[in-house]
Amino acid sequence: MKKRFWIRLGALLSIVLLLSACNFSGSEATDSSESANDEEEKVLRLSLENDIPDLNQVKTTDGISFDVLNNVMEGLYRLDEDNNPQPAMAESVDITEDKLTYTFHLREGIKWSNGEEVTANDFKYSWLRAMHPDTAGSYSFILSDYIKGGEAFANGEASEDEVAIEVKDEKTLIVEVNEPTPYFLGLTAFVTYFPLNKDFVEEKDDQFALDHESILYNGPFVLTEYDQAEGVVMEKNDEYWDKENVNVDEVSLKIIKEQSTALNLYEAGDLDRVTLSSADVNAYKDSEEFGTETQFTSWYIQFNLGKEPFDNLNIRKAFQLAYDPQILTETVLNNGSESAYSLIAPDMHGLENQSFRELNGPIIEPNAEKAKEYLDKGLKEIGGSLPEIEILTADDTVAKDAATFVQSQIKENLGVDIQIATKPYSGRLDAMREDDYQFAISKWGADFNDAITYLDLWVGDPVSAFRGSYHNPEYTDLVYQAKEEKDEGRRLEMLMDAEKIMLKDDAVLGPLYYEGSAFLQKGNIDNLVTHPYGARLELKYVEIN
Amino acid sequence: MKKFILVRLVNIVITLFIIATATFFLMKMLPGSPFDEEKLVDLTDEARMEFYARYGLDEPLYVQYLKYMGNLVQGDLGLSYYYKDQPVNSLIMGRIGPSALLGFQAVVLGLSIGIILGMIAAFRHNTIWDYFTMIVAVLGVSIPNFVLAAILQFYVGLQWGLFPVAYWESYESSILPTISLAVTVIALIARFTRNEMLEVLQQDYITTAHAKGLGDLTVLIKHAIRNALIPVITILGPVFVSLLTGSLVIENIFGIPGIGSLFVDSIKMNDYTTIMGLTLFYSSFFILTVLVVDILYGIIDPRIRVHGKG
Amino acid sequence: MQDTKQQKKFSDDLFQVVGRREEQSEKINRPNLTGLQDGWLRLKKNKAAIGSLIILLILLVLAIIGPYLSSYSYEQTDYEKVFMEPNSEHWLGTDKFGRDQWTRLWEGTRISLYIAVLAALLDILIGITYGAISGLKGGKVDNFMQRIIEILVGVPNLIIIILLIMIMKPGILTITLAMVITGWVNMARLVRGQIFKLKNQEYILASRALGAKNRRIITSHMLPNTLGIIIINMMFTIPSAIFTEAFLSFIGLGLQEPLASLGVLINDGFRSMRNQFYLLAFPSIVIIGLMVCFNLLADGLRDALDPRLRK
Repeated sequence: MKKRFWIRLGALLSIVLLLSACNFSGSEATDSSESANDEEEKVLRLSLENDIPDLNQVKTTDGISFDVLNNVMEGLYRLDEDNNPQPAMAESVDITEDKLTYTFHLREGIKWSNGEEVTANDFKYSWLRAMHPDTAGSYSFILSDYIKGGEAFANGEASEDEVAIEVKDEKTLIVEVNEPTPYFLGLTAFVTYFPLNKDFVEEKDDQFALDHESILYNGPFVLTEYDQAEGVVMEKNDEYWDKENVNVDEVSLKIIKEQSTALNLYEAGDLDRVTLSSADVNAYKDSEEFGTETQFTSWYIQFNLGKEPFDNLNIRKAFQLAYDPQILTETVLNNGSESAYSLIAPDMHGLENQSFRELNGPIIEPNAEKAKEYLDKGLKEIGGSLPEIEILTADDTVAKDAATFVQSQIKENLGVDIQIATKPYSGRLDAMREDDYQFAISKWGADFNDAITYLDLWVGDPVSAFRGSYHNPEYTDLVYQAKEEKDEGRRLEMLMDAEKIMLKDDAVLGPLYYEGSAFLQKGNIDNLVTHPYGARLELKYVEIN
Repeated sequence: MKKFILVRLVNIVITLFIIATATFFLMKMLPGSPFDEEKLVDLTDEARMEFYARYGLDEPLYVQYLKYMGNLVQGDLGLSYYYKDQPVNSLIMGRIGPSALLGFQAVVLGLSIGIILGMIAAFRHNTIWDYFTMIVAVLGVSIPNFVLAAILQFYVGLQWGLFPVAYWESYESSILPTISLAVTVIALIARFTRNEMLEVLQQDYITTAHAKGLGDLTVLIKHAIRNALIPVITILGPVFVSLLTGSLVIENIFGIPGIGSLFVDSIKMNDYTTIMGLTLFYSSFFILTVLVVDILYGIIDPRIRVHGKG
Repeated sequence: MQDTKQQKKFSDDLFQVVGRREEQSEKINRPNLTGLQDGWLRLKKNKAAIGSLIILLILLVLAIIGPYLSSYSYEQTDYEKVFMEPNSEHWLGTDKFGRDQWTRLWEGTRISLYIAVLAALLDILIGITYGAISGLKGGKVDNFMQRIIEILVGVPNLIIIILLIMIMKPGILTITLAMVITGWVNMARLVRGQIFKLKNQEYILASRALGAKNRRIITSHMLPNTLGIIIINMMFTIPSAIFTEAFLSFIGLGLQEPLASLGVLINDGFRSMRNQFYLLAFPSIVIIGLMVCFNLLADGLRDALDPRLRK
């Protein structure tokens, strides 16, 4: 009996040793083979802040999948270092006088990673698939809103023949759009506009895009490893038409969810770039490796015009003027975010070389005294006292910080106590949609480089509680007219007026900041571009010295 | 014995059924839906319903419930919403490896160190050894393991460069997370072993053995250790719970693609099916652990005989 | 000879027959101590436990008066003075909103303790009621109630707590309730076990035979004898509740800003530990202090109150 006990214990221990010995043996083998490679291999090591939910380009909606797909796939156009669309799969485009028909001429020698030619059919197939009610994801609107006949097709009311995508020949694609859309070429660089190889997709069926072998690539890189929870490894694509201009041989994008861990990895030399949390910025501000960038993502307070006390214009104005976004960006966030005094992000395209922001100027000027005046005026109108006020926010650190900031400033400058209600990501969205909030911290990231990506949201057609139940016919008309306007100058005028009406006259939103991020990047890395809209990460131009 | 196990198995089925039902309805009460995305909020109600229909979420609640339970009986946990359309089963299976290895190593490490510490403490009762062990045991359950993990990562990983800071690449990368997890286990087991051992050493049969003229070591090995160690099996339940808690935070800190990290993410993303799937998975595992412990205990410990009365 | 003389000195009438007095033969010379008094005597000899008790009392006092010792309130922001290291003005420094950490730390300790104690008390209330009913009624009722407990025991608490907090609005009460919903089971089992043990003791039978009603048996016999176990269990429940709260905050299911709890503070500190280590250090020290002291005290109490160890 006793002997058996010890034998069992011994057996257990040896199993443990055995297990620990054979685990990871596979990856160790690859480690040694890597070091055997010639030393000139240029490897870039980056991290992703969350799992990769889905690499099926027609369905996926999240920024992380976009970051991956943008570098292994390519649309008709690709954004360059200055975020302007440049011909990619397409060599050139002819646009008709009325700006409604685009004829794309595809480049010669563009190939899928299996050697097959990329044709106009691949685009048509992919675009239809991204709109078809059975296969579409939630981004189908980014095609169907623009392409003629797209909406009816996406609703299942029309056949695919009625969608104005025409394959003239293998190398020519003709697309008609509903309205003159000055940013349409930029849209063709968007993930949902990437092509798909029909034969391949049908062969893979429901296994499509589940691992690195069940995707066909046409971008600067191909995936050689893909695990949703671990990350991806990319290698330079030998079939890529512009491979001479791709400097990096291999890129790894590993998932690291804790910022502090990523920073440790960076310092240990295991990462070439890391995003800093605001608490760490001051310590690295003077480092040569430090940098910041700003995106086309605006954070703002959404007032609910259908709920007390924000049904009152003066009270909205009081709250809108009562806080100073500069304190938020410079002290609390401290990460390169820019304080916002209006909705449309700086650097967003305006007219010719001037940005929309330069042309329309700042709209809101924070002023505690004025805020107080508005509050008094508003209080008189509603009969003396404020109800209990709660600000709704998502439960991530940044949104919570923004809410805490607003709370403290309202208290200081207006003497009003407000409560914070935090909800999880989708809980906040749901509460706003269900009209269950007074005001909320909200944000919107641009899908393309034009002010309409924001202004379209508040047209109130139909009136949406999520957008504060705002409906002003004057505003709506301006936006709709702008959409049909062919003259870019007049179009811009209308959009600028619309922004002023909504922010200044109607005080629907309180601007907070334009999202930015601070990062450290190793000195030998150049030209690692992050686009401010659409898919952010751009690895094609990276150079390692 | 057979009857005992049978009764327990019936209990387990009932328990799991209740957990599945409760989780299902709790999930339905959650505010928001997995389809609430910033980009989707402007969809018309019609378009929204279409999305719901695709996942069968437009049907009456009881139909959804019956379907879910029906699939569950066949071992099908449904499709994830966040990891678009992937079966929860394969998500869990894909991630179980790292978590299982970490948990296993933490248990082995915890058991070996914990038992040794506990026994030394008991033998050298009220000496410096004893106090040291008790300090380890108390600190072990008192330091939040994410704080410990962060400190290990910073000092051992980054400053001293002994082990990888993070990632899941080689065997070395499992060491820091294992230690972070094992500390609580060591503490639990050391304390338990010490107390058991102290009690055993006071028993009459130990005195008898000494009286028979057996040496200290012989008494220790032949009589004390075995009897003191058997009850250690019973705290595998709490050990499991501490590993579960630990894995939820530690996997994220060390960038390990395990189910703890999956669970935290699915909570953040309102991924109902994944939350339900993991809840059931954890519960089943926990319940089975407890059952196995009870059965083992019944077999090993001669003092306890279950006479089929449940 | 001498003896007889002496005998004569003390004449018989100096003595009287005492005989055997019924009432004194049973008298216990040792002072009559209740279990708790006895336990207290033992506990006093346990240095670690007494030390812990003192530290706990100090922490408790600080949690109550600490926030008033500085001139700041826990939610008062000062954007001119963010991320200040501990100094004479802000004794424990400030966070990213310029909030005074001394005030927040004790405010947080208070809330954490409040949550933990409330959870423990509710556990006890429900646990005792359930356990007592189950234990006293016995038979079918007990059987049925035990089935329920067996099922609840099979559920990993943490998971259920997480799910409950997800559907309820996060706040002090929510967190407390979520912990109670799963936490009382343990107490109920202990109380039931104890009552079963006591029920068949001779002195209970005797008391019953003497005509004592159920109520008297419960209040004057069973409760005092169960109290030890209840107190010990409470001492273990409180630290684990403090820990659970910290853990929940860490995975993002904690209290609402600007409220602070130890969990919230540690979580904030964790995010800025690289360059503002004090933000993590102080709340960690307090939580570790609380945990260590509660555990040592609980150990000490168990040794002191466990009748098996009485000598």
